[in-house]
Amino acid sequence: MRKYAVSDSQLISQYKNGNEEAFAELVNRHKNKIYTTIYLIVKDQFLAEDLLQETYVKVVNTIKSGRYNEEGKFLPWVTRIAHNLAIDHFRKAKRYPMIVMEDGSNIFNTLEFSEDSIESRQIQQDTHALLRDLIKELPDSQREVLMMRHYMQMSFQEIAEATDVSINTALGRMRYALINLRKKMNKLNIAYDQNLYPR
Amino acid sequence: MIKTFTQDDLIRYIYQETTPEESIEIETALIFDEQLSETYNNLSGTVESLKAVKLKPSEDTIDKILSYSKSYDLHALR
Repeated sequence: MRKYAVSDSQLISQYKNGNEEAFAELVNRHKNKIYTTIYLIVKDQFLAEDLLQETYVKVVNTIKSGRYNEEGKFLPWVTRIAHNLAIDHFRKAKRYPMIVMEDGSNIFNTLEFSEDSIESRQIQQDTHALLRDLIKELPDSQREVLMMRHYMQMSFQEIAEATDVSINTALGRMRYALINLRKKMNKLNIAYDQNLYPR
Repeated sequence: MIKTFTQDDLIRYIYQETTPEESIEIETALIFDEQLSETYNNLSGTVESLKAVKLKPSEDTIDKILSYSKSYDLHALR
């Protein structure tokens, strides 16, 4: 996990004391991870943006009203709010996310790049878009564990408790998710390449 | 004697959920067990790929969030 000079809990303390810059830092620090979590559930860019706003309205309301008590665990807490809002959205709409292979072209515009050439950017865009589609194709139980562990940074024990299964089942679902992803990547010839996935 | 490890153990290791002792044992096993090492490379390669799947929300959305926070006291007074 990335280490920051100022921790999340320090930023929250500053924010509680009225420092809006600290809040801006918190939002910018985690926005991509939380947005990706929501997007991978709802599969719609505009809806994901709305739900991201809703997530942070809850965050602001909770912190500013003095009800925040998860010091040091900011990201899992926010991501859990985002995850629940995204799932609630489908419950309200009385449907669970179906596999939709959208063209994703508008999303390409918002991807961050670290390489310079147009060609390498295009390869990176295509590969990331394919990977997103592959994650969306996973069975719900596998995708849920993958997102909880990978994006929400919950431990396997926490996932087991949250999903009411044993830790071995949670680990098994993660294993199948990774194996299925690998198989799909191999089928499409997507290889792990350090140049494509800079740390 | 080198301990036998499962794929689930490797997943816990990749996500840094093994104890320091387990990590050392797994790292030792990875040196001697070719099949385990291959499985590890596949799993960790997939996890690395996942790290690349990140999207970025629009600046407009972030601005709205920050504005909401700045005007929270106004909302709360209503």
